[in-house]
Amino acid sequence: MNTLSTREMAMKAILETARKDERLVIVSPDAMLAARAVPFQKEFPNRLIEVGIAEQCAVDMAAGLASVGMKPIVITYAGFLTMRACEMMRTFVAYPQANVKFIGLNGGMLGGEREGVTHQFYEDLGILRSMPGITILTPADGNQAYQATLDMLGQEGPAYLRLASGREPQVFEAPAPLPQGGVERLADYGSDVAIFASGYVMDRALEAAKALKDRGVGASVINVTTLKPLDEAAVAAELARTGCAVTVEDHNIYGALGSAICEVACAWHPCKVVRLGLGDLYPRSGPAAALLDAYGLAVGDIVKAAYEAMEGKRREGPGGRGQ
Amino acid sequence: MTIQELERMANRLRLDVVEAVHDAGDGHPGPCMSIAEAVAVLYFDELRLRPEEPRWQDRDRFILSKGHACPIVYAALARRGYFSLEHLKGLRSLEGMLQGHPDMHKTPGIDYVSGSLGNGVAIGAGMAKGLAMEGSQARVYVIVGDGEMEEGIIWEAAMAAAHHKLGNLTVLGDLNGCQSGGHVDQLSSLNPVQDKWRAFHWQVIEVDGHNVGELKAALDQARSIPDRPTFIAMRTVKGKNISYMENNNAWHKRTPTQEEVLIARRELEALL
Repeated sequence: MNTLSTREMAMKAILETARKDERLVIVSPDAMLAARAVPFQKEFPNRLIEVGIAEQCAVDMAAGLASVGMKPIVITYAGFLTMRACEMMRTFVAYPQANVKFIGLNGGMLGGEREGVTHQFYEDLGILRSMPGITILTPADGNQAYQATLDMLGQEGPAYLRLASGREPQVFEAPAPLPQGGVERLADYGSDVAIFASGYVMDRALEAAKALKDRGVGASVINVTTLKPLDEAAVAAELARTGCAVTVEDHNIYGALGSAICEVACAWHPCKVVRLGLGDLYPRSGPAAALLDAYGLAVGDIVKAAYEAMEGKRREGPGGRGQ
Repeated sequence: MTIQELERMANRLRLDVVEAVHDAGDGHPGPCMSIAEAVAVLYFDELRLRPEEPRWQDRDRFILSKGHACPIVYAALARRGYFSLEHLKGLRSLEGMLQGHPDMHKTPGIDYVSGSLGNGVAIGAGMAKGLAMEGSQARVYVIVGDGEMEEGIIWEAAMAAAHHKLGNLTVLGDLNGCQSGGHVDQLSSLNPVQDKWRAFHWQVIEVDGHNVGELKAALDQARSIPDRPTFIAMRTVKGKNISYMENNNAWHKRTPTQEEVLIARRELEALL
């Protein structure tokens, strides 16, 4: 599997946008290297605003910059943003609808991999999803991260884009547009089960769907690139089509994709949903692929979950419990 | 305004606060009283504003970082012409536009959300940086409480503002010595706080925060240095000019009774 750096691709989009919009600035809490922003700093030395290792200050300064018409992007590790500066994101950006963009690095186990728990972040999306007024983008690879960055910078208002380590498996051959509404069917081998996936585990979801096909099971893979606002009708249509689902995310199973799909299922189309992601625990250091395999996101785990979901449908009927 | 007029305005704002908090049945009157002169000098002398055009791009910005003292800023905005004094009666009510803590989308004249302590300096630094990048002459003013300076982000912002040479940023510290739970020196002493700001490479000016002339001179001096932010250390008295509130921390958050309103009115009207 080829890899393509989400960090490099997002910065490519930032540079292209910055050349057209002189109000675009980066606010860096000593994240210039991690963000791959050295070319930006060289081209626009006055527009990389370094505040030192001070994430809360970075978010608040970005809010102030936006209030006078600048277009700041705050980039640093996902957890240092969404946990350390959580209140600043909520009260001083999301609440007043400041035009501040956030890019969270090291999203998930894959993002933090060998760094260990302090630098792996599997809570960021759940935290932000509970915050009114912020768009959450979870592209599937570097090519889609490029387009997600362009789209995000082209829109007004608070938004968060999740990136990872810079070694993400490539899914798309070329820069891929974000789907309308943020939900797209990437693979369609039938209507036995829907596999909803978001982020940089998409390759695993696609591989699992192929493995299921080889066993005679028709799975579809749904790429959710916009976790908020979620296109609930599109999700519900997929649930109605298959009558059962698996969710796959490099996040814990609390509050992000798995929760969101279950919420839609409960409200629109009650059916069996099996959530794959990190459970109620903290993992360890390790190589990215081995970590994902060790904590329940192996291709075999997805295949197994698909059978579990289909078994639930068989017992309870495609339309949900009691039908 | 003359110095005497500004002094009278400060006391008029104090009376507005007592009446508004009484009408609302809720609010923080004590913390308003210690900044009355600062707010009067800012809104009626220092800030370049257009009340008829609250979002004028080149206006000076003001952030009340100790946002719980917003009733006195609301009173100043009303008397400066942003909205009618009638709105003060609706403080903290569901129907009113004057929120329990400032919100720029609900109240004309407010430049940013505040109230979660510690954040005003960093937001102000962002504004100051952006205005400087745009070549604007506008300046940014922030009032912080002394208890508030226990928040770590204050010092993150102090570092960043000095590093970025934000001479267009002035922070006024309301050193009334009290915070919600008691005296600052007993809870987590910051003093001498002036030395801390100096150590962060800010210009520091010490004033009697109830002396209008000293405040005006300090603001003039702040404007005279282009490449360093200024901290004006205002020695103040919580509850100032109302006998039963002065240095009585019970008035951090408390509603005056009708009788207490009458006493305050008598005492403050004598100063108008």
